[in-house]
Amino acid sequence: MKANYMASVAWRVGIHLFSVGVGSGLVGFGCAPAPSDASSKAVDSAFVVPWEEVEGYMKAAPSPVQVAAWLRRERVGFYREPLHDPTLAGRYSGLQGAANLGIYLTDMAYAHATGQYQVAYEYLSAVQRLASRYGLEDIFSVERLKTLDRLQDKPDSIQHLFGQYYGEVQDRLVETGQQALLRHMILGGWLESLHIVLALLGKESIDRKALSEVIFLQPHLMPLLIRLYAIDTLHSPASRQILAHLDTLNQAFKALPRALPTGPQTTVSGRTIRMVTSGGMELRPDQVKEVQKALNKLRDFLT
Amino acid sequence: MRLLYLGLFLGTLGAQSSCRQLVSSCREAYMDNFSWDGRYWRAELYNNETTTIYYTFFRGLRYRLIPCGTSSTQSRPHLRLYNADNVLLLDTRQQPNQPYWELELSSTQLLMIELYYPSGEGCIALLIGYQMQEAAASLRH
Repeated sequence: MKANYMASVAWRVGIHLFSVGVGSGLVGFGCAPAPSDASSKAVDSAFVVPWEEVEGYMKAAPSPVQVAAWLRRERVGFYREPLHDPTLAGRYSGLQGAANLGIYLTDMAYAHATGQYQVAYEYLSAVQRLASRYGLEDIFSVERLKTLDRLQDKPDSIQHLFGQYYGEVQDRLVETGQQALLRHMILGGWLESLHIVLALLGKESIDRKALSEVIFLQPHLMPLLIRLYAIDTLHSPASRQILAHLDTLNQAFKALPRALPTGPQTTVSGRTIRMVTSGGMELRPDQVKEVQKALNKLRDFLT
Repeated sequence: MRLLYLGLFLGTLGAQSSCRQLVSSCREAYMDNFSWDGRYWRAELYNNETTTIYYTFFRGLRYRLIPCGTSSTQSRPHLRLYNADNVLLLDTRQQPNQPYWELELSSTQLLMIELYYPSGEGCIALLIGYQMQEAAASLRH
């Protein structure tokens, strides 16, 4: 009984925090204030989904730092043109700013992963500018930028630090009741990761299968992201619009053949689990273009 | 009644605080030289509850999965790994106890992880670290 009460209290605290976060950041997309009458709250699904569940959907998408580590491992090349313009950072605020923070973090991590330190520094400046709007300026302080600068020839150390800073951003946004901003930051980061992978598929001749796998698994990830935005569509016009774009993107992913490698065969040796799959295929150029078309609608909306 | 609610609220905050400490102590003990992007999952489990985690694992990276906590019956936390089609791939309860597990994949996959205690109740958490696999050691299709 006590356990149930405690779980219930924790649940309510989580919901309250999430609903506060949702209500706090509508300005960025030029939306009207959230309805505050009791009847609209009573039917709004944002008030019936536990925060733990929302958090679970949020963390299903890979972080920019993890994507960067993978791209570095795949030894992909650097291409500037798909990246977002860092000089636009000053025009964003609210939820749109949070989404672009995720986009710039991903662009910065990609530039670092491919050894483009000067470009990475430009994106770091954009990140710093946006971070100051959300009380995150100390995480990207001048001292920390200098530390990153000193470590340019030590990519593993930079990877560790990026991970640390990204973790601090997440914790800070949750601790300060800005979960709605965190949701948009994660959305922006995920979207930009896919945008970069699709751009690389249009250029890279090395291991296109590895890049294609990331696109082919999206039909499994999309339902989680859709749920993340479906929870408060009555409450937030921005969520409604994003949900519509996610639905369009989901249709584009669903139109792809089911081409994930089969298996896996799982073996355990000591503490190591190995999963070996077979098969899989490459995304064709026309399929890349179709997905890009749907993805760019959401990206254009956010940027 | 208000005192009861206040007590329960403070008790919940206390439990959350101990869960948070669990994450940092586990990280210090087992993360070693793996990178970590600050993401963790934690929950209070009661009555055979499980908590579900979705995570995208990339090929070419080696992952360290660190389940943290001890139940009221001193049970260790375990993991069930499922693929994106909900097919059970591994239950660590069928393996000798380990403080953490390392995972290598030959292809990028979205996995579902169920975190649970075989018995008892209490706070449970999962941290996932990653590092680049050496090219020679990586799994191939």
